[in-house]
Amino acid sequence: MQKRLGKEAEPMEILEWIRLILGASLLLIGLIIFFVELYGIFHFRYVLNRMHAAAMGDTLGISCSLIGLMIFSGLNFTTFKMMLVVAFLWFASPVSSHLLSNLEVTTNENLKKYCQVYENLADLEKELLEEEQEKTGRDTV
Amino acid sequence: MIGMSENITALDKVYHGMYITVLVFLAIMLFSCLIRAVRGPRIADRLVAVNMMGTMVMVIIAVLSLLLNQGYLIDICLIYAMISFLAVNVISKVYLGVYVEKQQKPQEEDAKEAGEGGGTYGNS
Repeated sequence: MQKRLGKEAEPMEILEWIRLILGASLLLIGLIIFFVELYGIFHFRYVLNRMHAAAMGDTLGISCSLIGLMIFSGLNFTTFKMMLVVAFLWFASPVSSHLLSNLEVTTNENLKKYCQVYENLADLEKELLEEEQEKTGRDTV
Repeated sequence: MIGMSENITALDKVYHGMYITVLVFLAIMLFSCLIRAVRGPRIADRLVAVNMMGTMVMVIIAVLSLLLNQGYLIDICLIYAMISFLAVNVISKVYLGVYVEKQQKPQEEDAKEAGEGGGTYGNS
C-alpha cells in the first residue's frame, strides 16, 4: 500500500521539479538580461546610446524574470498582479525614454559632437531614399 | 512516505537558496547602477540609472513576496512601478522647464538692453 502511494506521488514530484527548472531558467534569463543592460550602460559613451541598453531591461528583463516568478507562484491572484506590473511597464517605459531623450536633446548644447544632427528632416529622408535606391539597384545588378 | 517528505523539504531548500542567490545578484547589480548614477556626467545619465534601479527593485520585491509567501507585496511592486514612472517623468519635465526658463531670461535681458540702447541712441 505504501509503495503504491509512493509510486503515485512520484509524477507530481517530477512535475514540481520541472516547474522549478522552467521557472529558474526564465529567472536566470531575466538576470542575464539585467547584466547585459548593466554592461551596456558602462560600455557606451553617451546617454542616447546608454538609453538603448537601459530600455532592454525595462521590458524584456522584467518580463522574463516575472514570468519565471509567475510559474513559481502558480495560478492565483498574485500571478495576475505580476502580469499587470509587466503590462504597465511595457506602456510606461517608452514614454519615460522619450521624455529623457527629449530632455537630453534640448539641454545639450554641443550635440553635434556626439551624433549626427539633421536640422530639417527632409534631408534625412532624401538621404535614406537615395541609400535605398542604391541598395535596390545593386541588388538588381 | 518519509522519503517523500524529505524530498519536499529538499525542494523547499532549493527554492530558498535560489531566491537568496537571485536577491544577492540583484543587490550587486543595484549597487553598480548606483555607481553609474553617481558618476553619470549628465542629468539624463543619472535619470536612466535611477529608472534602471527602479526596475531592479521591482524584481527584488516580487522575489521577496514569493520568499516570504506574502501576496500583498506584489501590490507594493505595482505602486512602486507607478511612482518610479511618475518620478522620472516629473523630474525630466522640471529640468526641461528650468532649462527653458534659464534660456529665455538672458534673451529678455538682451532685448531690454537693446531697447534701452536703441532709445538712448535715438535721443542723442
